[in-house]
Amino acid sequence: MSDAQTVRTDLAIGRRGFLKATGAGIAGGGLLTAVGARRAPAQLKGTSLRMLMWSHFVPAYDAWLDDFARKWGEKNGVRVRVDHIPHLELPARWAAEFAAGAGHDLIQFAGQIFTGQYYRHLVDLSDLAAALEKKYGKWMENARSAAQVRGVWYGIPDFYIAIPVLWRKDLFDSVGVGEPKTWEDLRKAGRLLKARGHPTGMQFSHCNDANHNWRALLYCFGAKETDPSGENIALDSRETREALRFAKALFDEGMTPEVFSWDDASDNRFLASGVGCWIHDAISAFRTTQDTNPRVFKDTYCVPEVAGPGGQKWNVGEPNVWAIWKFGKNPQAARDFIAALVDHQKEAMEASRGYNMPFLRDHYRKPMPGLGNDPKLAVLQEQDRITAFFGYPGLMSPPAQEVLTTFVIPDMFTRVARGAAIEDVMKWGLGEIRRIYAKHRAA
Amino acid sequence: MAEVPGAPTPGTCPVAVGERVGVRFRWRAPAARRCLLGYALLAPAVLYVGALVGVPFLFSLYLAMSDATVGDPVAGFVGLENFRAALESTTFHVALRNTVVFTVGAGVLKGLLGTTLAFLLVQPFVGRRVVRALVVIPFTLPIAISVLGWKWMFDSQFSVLNWALSRVGLIGGYGSPDWPVWLGQPSLALASVMFVNVWRGFPFTAIVLMAGLTSVPTEIIDSARVDGASFLQRFRKIIVPMIAPILFIGAAFDTVFTLSDLSIVYLLTNGGPDGATEILPTLAYNTGIRAGALGRGAAISLFLFPLLLPAMVLLLRTLRRRQY
Repeated sequence: MSDAQTVRTDLAIGRRGFLKATGAGIAGGGLLTAVGARRAPAQLKGTSLRMLMWSHFVPAYDAWLDDFARKWGEKNGVRVRVDHIPHLELPARWAAEFAAGAGHDLIQFAGQIFTGQYYRHLVDLSDLAAALEKKYGKWMENARSAAQVRGVWYGIPDFYIAIPVLWRKDLFDSVGVGEPKTWEDLRKAGRLLKARGHPTGMQFSHCNDANHNWRALLYCFGAKETDPSGENIALDSRETREALRFAKALFDEGMTPEVFSWDDASDNRFLASGVGCWIHDAISAFRTTQDTNPRVFKDTYCVPEVAGPGGQKWNVGEPNVWAIWKFGKNPQAARDFIAALVDHQKEAMEASRGYNMPFLRDHYRKPMPGLGNDPKLAVLQEQDRITAFFGYPGLMSPPAQEVLTTFVIPDMFTRVARGAAIEDVMKWGLGEIRRIYAKHRAA
Repeated sequence: MAEVPGAPTPGTCPVAVGERVGVRFRWRAPAARRCLLGYALLAPAVLYVGALVGVPFLFSLYLAMSDATVGDPVAGFVGLENFRAALESTTFHVALRNTVVFTVGAGVLKGLLGTTLAFLLVQPFVGRRVVRALVVIPFTLPIAISVLGWKWMFDSQFSVLNWALSRVGLIGGYGSPDWPVWLGQPSLALASVMFVNVWRGFPFTAIVLMAGLTSVPTEIIDSARVDGASFLQRFRKIIVPMIAPILFIGAAFDTVFTLSDLSIVYLLTNGGPDGATEILPTLAYNTGIRAGALGRGAAISLFLFPLLLPAMVLLLRTLRRRQY
């Protein structure tokens, strides 16, 4: 530091001078921001971006995304590396990266939403969420549950997977049941068609689909996991008991014991084999049947969801959310990449063959890519109106996540299907859930 | 063994601490140098074990007594609260029971099959080397690949096992009441995951036993045979006592491997249906990592430690007594 220069410290300033200086400051600041914004790509030049995401169920989407990332990187002078790993291995990887304080710049919460666990260590993306909302319409109300903590966006919802009803029109017609509109229709079809060698099936096991499917039935029957705050358990209700009773009948009348062993892909094979009369699954099952058994596919149709006894329809989707570690080395590139990906949502949805359902309202303009031009899947273009996520109507909070990953809800349905008394099952399930929520509250 | 003059007795160093006169001299003595060298050579192993076993173990203990979550590294001390919480859960009780059944059942089966295989493989026959190489394949295959293979074989609809059983008329066709759902019926599901563990592990038991059997001098066996000892007598009175140290080590390894075996259950059933195959490692993983409750996950995974520690100490002490 030099002390040879004399610094004039006359701070006297008039009212006009103050206004001039302030105006110049604001204008200059705005200009610098604008210049800075224009200069952003130059700042990114020569940097690198590493992102961690799941291996998509539609391999073509991974190929598209890798290519998109490469081209985006070339355009912006960023070295991009995309690491795909199986979605069930992601939580261990996030935990390892967090513990090490190093890893990928951009991570994806796939199905397992850890925004609530990691939010203190994630970049606040509220400005980006607001900008995207301004550009592409409002976020779906349920999107907030996946990406926000106390009103702050710590993630940007990417897409969710819809899990509709896939049914065989030829088989339903053969027993005089038309397009299913209610769970009761599905039960009837299952009962009539099982006798003809075409049972139905939903997983009574420890897999993702079991978690989503039985929650869909619960919510359609009017049951709630928690209150809207996500703090208080609301499962102890007449509606939950009705849903359990219905599931028992659904199993006894329309299913075979193989559903106790099913994983996420078993129902795909079950439908594609021509045996199943209906399943409740993502459209990957529809695509698998399309690719492997055209004869069965010809008669396979899709219904977004069927209604419960009170007319309620709730499909339980599997959300995917982008997040940026605070310790990430290139948060700016990560933000820019997310924004670019949202800008190319139509291509993304096309590449996923209609699998990636968007969270922003404007992306539901018809015809939607991958769905709108398909006469059987076009019915999914209003899926945003009936989609809920685990924990509904509460948040996808850490205790809700634990209830999900310890399979308490599917196990309740499994016990009832195996013949346990509903009250015993309620006592057990509520006990487990209360214990989980109490532990999180205490922590 | 003759004593070397000036050599330290085992476990001591010839340095008289506190003797001010001659301390420097004694440290330079050949015996002291040998002692120092011994410790220096031992140090990397101690550091290695400390860093790779001791530190993670102590960290697990810390986690188990804290309310740590995956996103909250600053954890509060909660004492034995996580252990109490685990004991309150019926899922934990089921997992504990399954873990014991899984470990003991698989261990006994691996012992029986491994012993039989080892006796077969020490007999001279044409192609013995090839057969020996083939039997270790299950053990050497990447676990994910072999378990996925079994998952297909246990598939509820396309199981090759069921297809074969159906073709020979032992069961009905797909959809019939006697069509086994290997991973769906509680008892069958637990038996299936145990079977895959046994299939994968018994070649290891056989190799360990073969190593022991080949070290038993044939003269002793022949003498016993001449004296009229039956096969079982020879096995019980001669072979087992002679290869006991190897058997103990093999049993200890196998118990630890089986207790900590997460992959087979995780890939085949993930603990389902309704906890029928839930074991402590899967419950700990799902609670600690997939649900983010690190403290409770660590407590579940450490639950068997108080039971295992005395068993291992007893095993190693027995082994040591037999060696001297």
